[in-house]
Amino acid sequence: MSDRLISSADISGIEYKLRQLDSNLDRVTNNISHVRTEVGGVLNEVGTLNQRQAQLAADLNQLAAAFSDFVKNDGKQKSLQLAETRQGNLKQDLEIKFGYYGEVRRMATGILQGVDTGIVSDGTLRATTEEVMLKAPGYWLAPALITVASWIRNDKATADKALNESLRRDDYKTTLFFMLVMRRLNRYEASLQWLNRYFMHQNPYNLDREFVIILEAVTTGVFPPAARQLMMKNAKSWLAQLTQSGDYINDQKAQWLQFFHAKAPVVSGKYPLLEQFCNNWTALETYLQTVSAHEPIQAHFKNVIGASTDLSKAIKVQLDEILSMLVTNFDDEELPLQQQVRLNELIIDMDGDKAAAQSVMDAEKHIFQEKVDFLQLLTNAAFNPAKAGASKVTQALAVSISQPWIVEAHDTFTANSRNSIPNLIVYNIDGFTAGTQDGSDEESLLGQHEGYWTNVLKAELAKAPYPTSNVILGGLIIALGAGLLIVNPIVGVLAAGVGIWLVLNTLNKHKKTIQQIKDSTANREQKSKEVLRGCIAETVDYRKECAREDAKAEVVRALLTSITPEDFSSVSKDTRNILTTN
Amino acid sequence: MARLILNTENQQFDLNKQQTTAGSASNPRALLRNRSKKYMDLIAGLDTHNLTDTKGMALLMNAIQEEFGTAELGNWPLGIVAKCFLGHPYEVHTYDLSASQILHHYKVGEPLPDQFEKARTLAKHNAYALVEVYKDYVILIREDGSASTTSAAL
Repeated sequence: MSDRLISSADISGIEYKLRQLDSNLDRVTNNISHVRTEVGGVLNEVGTLNQRQAQLAADLNQLAAAFSDFVKNDGKQKSLQLAETRQGNLKQDLEIKFGYYGEVRRMATGILQGVDTGIVSDGTLRATTEEVMLKAPGYWLAPALITVASWIRNDKATADKALNESLRRDDYKTTLFFMLVMRRLNRYEASLQWLNRYFMHQNPYNLDREFVIILEAVTTGVFPPAARQLMMKNAKSWLAQLTQSGDYINDQKAQWLQFFHAKAPVVSGKYPLLEQFCNNWTALETYLQTVSAHEPIQAHFKNVIGASTDLSKAIKVQLDEILSMLVTNFDDEELPLQQQVRLNELIIDMDGDKAAAQSVMDAEKHIFQEKVDFLQLLTNAAFNPAKAGASKVTQALAVSISQPWIVEAHDTFTANSRNSIPNLIVYNIDGFTAGTQDGSDEESLLGQHEGYWTNVLKAELAKAPYPTSNVILGGLIIALGAGLLIVNPIVGVLAAGVGIWLVLNTLNKHKKTIQQIKDSTANREQKSKEVLRGCIAETVDYRKECAREDAKAEVVRALLTSITPEDFSSVSKDTRNILTTN
Repeated sequence: MARLILNTENQQFDLNKQQTTAGSASNPRALLRNRSKKYMDLIAGLDTHNLTDTKGMALLMNAIQEEFGTAELGNWPLGIVAKCFLGHPYEVHTYDLSASQILHHYKVGEPLPDQFEKARTLAKHNAYALVEVYKDYVILIREDGSASTTSAAL
């Protein structure tokens, strides 16, 4: 019954339905892929939208930046305009209040040039200078010019009166002016008098910036030779003043100490074994470094002292610059106005950037207000003459004046270096530690070394004890084999054989281990000994080098103590030629 | 701006003027002045001549008194350390101004009293004849009597 049912079943309908289902599925798949394409399209569009948004944001940022730039520029533009307007006003103010000052200055330069060339008549000089006197009341340069004019035409009475007036108005500037003018005109006696007055103006605690140039001029012989004595006299009294109070000398000494330390050369790589096997190598290296500084120090001072007179007309040019600054630069009473003018000028230069202009202004102010004490000035000139605006001759003079505390600083440097010498050099070679003073006890060190390695060998051997247990076990097996001989000779012989093999093998292995330990220890000892010998050799060299370098300290000391300021009076011999020919 | 003229003419200082005492509380730099030959000779003599302790002490105190004059006691050295010429194993000897036994020889490795230890290495150096020990620093005296120090602030 059931067979029939099966055979007669018609599944074509099912097949059809299945096919239909299949095609439906295909359609669904198609639809899905269609949807996917559509979604892809949508996604693409979203991407595009995102892109556009980013673009928009970027545009907006750009706009914001452009706007802030605009605001900034606008601010700058306004500051610029304001600065320009203000500057105009300020200049007008200046012109109204101090206009004649400018005229006097222009005239001063003119008169000086006229005097140089001698083509202006006395009458003109007299008339113009007297007019200036009337137009610029209170200005020191006006009576100074009258002094020059009346001096030229030999009118002593007027010259004296005008000079007194000029000094009353500004003693310092008048002094500097006449000192420079007299030097320019080769009136040595007069310039010396003025120089003396100039020195009296100076405060050794607070020297003016131009002092170093005057010092330079005196040192290099631009002024008459007597000026040098005058300067030395002043320098000595200043020194006495400065050294009596405060920490001026100690400050200079500390700077010299630093300078000496900075001369210490690099020494690594000279003693490779000590570097590697010495416990206190850092101390050794530091000592070698400081002690090696004496040679460069000596070279430095030799160079300074031995410097030939490398002068030219440069100093005269500088002196003339001071003179021209003195007559062209504004005076203190004009200063507030002039400072504002300068600030506005800087704002204009910086295209309206106020902050930048102010910082430049502050920096300039600092430069011009910089004042130093006499000792610091000497130290600056001794360390870096170029930066201090001095020549090598002035450097030599500065060194010679500073000599007492340079010697003291060098003595301290040497003493500190000698105090830091490590007494013992401590090796640490493959576990062997020993110290030596100078390597002269080589035999004893080698003996210690040998003793150390004997102990190491002992310790190593102790780590490989005699294999008693295996030997006993082997013996027992042999005994057992011997016992078995009676019961079963073959098994007995075999067992005894195993026992004998065990004993022999164990003993053999042990022997090999012992030999290995001995070999490797001997090998290490050999290497260690070589290193030790190398270290000792380097120690001897190290101590020799240190002693050699240390001895140079005394040479430097002798060199330093031999320097006296008086030595530098000879320097002027060459420079006097310049004086007489020019 | 007119400046006052410094009246430097009236402030003459003689740089070569030797002060009569080695130190004063106001100017410890004076401790760096040269030591007198008499002082140097006496200290050198104390070692080579076998002076009895009491006599040595009296002599040393006299020499110090003469050298340092009326300087405050605080500016006197605590003692002196010098290289010992007795030979190995002696390394340095000290004159202790506060102890009853002034002269003491020290062997290599033998520690010095606390305040003297800082002078040991320098005392061994051939450049210095003796080292005066002060509380915070040492002053090194060469054969010629010139003095220097380890302290930069002096």
